[in-house]
Amino acid sequence: MTNTSSPEGEIALIELLKKGDQAAYKHAVRLYTPGMLAVARFYHGNANAEDVVQDCWVTVIDAINKFEGRAGLKTWLHRIVANRAKNRLRTTNREVSTDFSETLDPELDSRYGSSGRWLKPPTLKTDESADQLLENDALKECLNQHLSRLPEAQRSALVLYETHHHKSDDICNILDISHSNLRVLIHRARQKIFLMVEHFQETGEC
Amino acid sequence: MLSCRGLAHIASDYIDDELGTVNKLSVRMHLLMCPHCRTFMGNLRASAALLEKHSAQTLSADYLQRIDREIERALSNDNSRG
Repeated sequence: MTNTSSPEGEIALIELLKKGDQAAYKHAVRLYTPGMLAVARFYHGNANAEDVVQDCWVTVIDAINKFEGRAGLKTWLHRIVANRAKNRLRTTNREVSTDFSETLDPELDSRYGSSGRWLKPPTLKTDESADQLLENDALKECLNQHLSRLPEAQRSALVLYETHHHKSDDICNILDISHSNLRVLIHRARQKIFLMVEHFQETGEC
Repeated sequence: MLSCRGLAHIASDYIDDELGTVNKLSVRMHLLMCPHCRTFMGNLRASAALLEKHSAQTLSADYLQRIDREIERALSNDNSRG
């Protein structure tokens, strides 16, 4: 299958999708579904996200012929999911409820005194690289557990920003949130993982 | 003068180069003087790198095959319509 990490590879994949090539669809489904699910989960939580994304893939078969390549394929697919998810929210009269009010995680916040100085500063310095940390299966499992417990909005923003390397503007557009709210979501999620890694390194436990 | 808590509020913005010049300089000044916040910032940066490397999303084979089948069905409908 084509290497889609390069622009040429993505163009080749798009051409195959336009021709209705099943192998190309299989490849694209495996490549893009994780990010599409992150978008759907932002709007619907776990419950309906898989159905929304499945419906979107069927839509893509017709829509791909109108794809002009102004945005990348990933961004285009994520916008399709966002539009479908928003439409579905409208029909069910639901709203996305997300708390953007607090920048600091309460657990981290409690570690500072009233003067704003540390009461309980971090004691261990994380010297290992991400690759080295991820060699530890127990830490990886703990990371998975913590990621699955993050509020959907934080997890979606994080996945789109860190894993899928979307530009901030694209994420704000796809998730329908302001830039400052996106920053809150990313910062809150990172703090949770910071606290998790710290606890793991101090105690060896998740 | 930026406090340690104040720095924690804007630490991710510093990591992602989202701060204006004044705030960026305030963070740098604070980090020069505060070893605790240097550790905090380093560890938060490590957490961000960890998240960048690690995608927790493992999709079930069953779900992927369901999508494959839907696509296959839709494609064959398209072909039969000509």
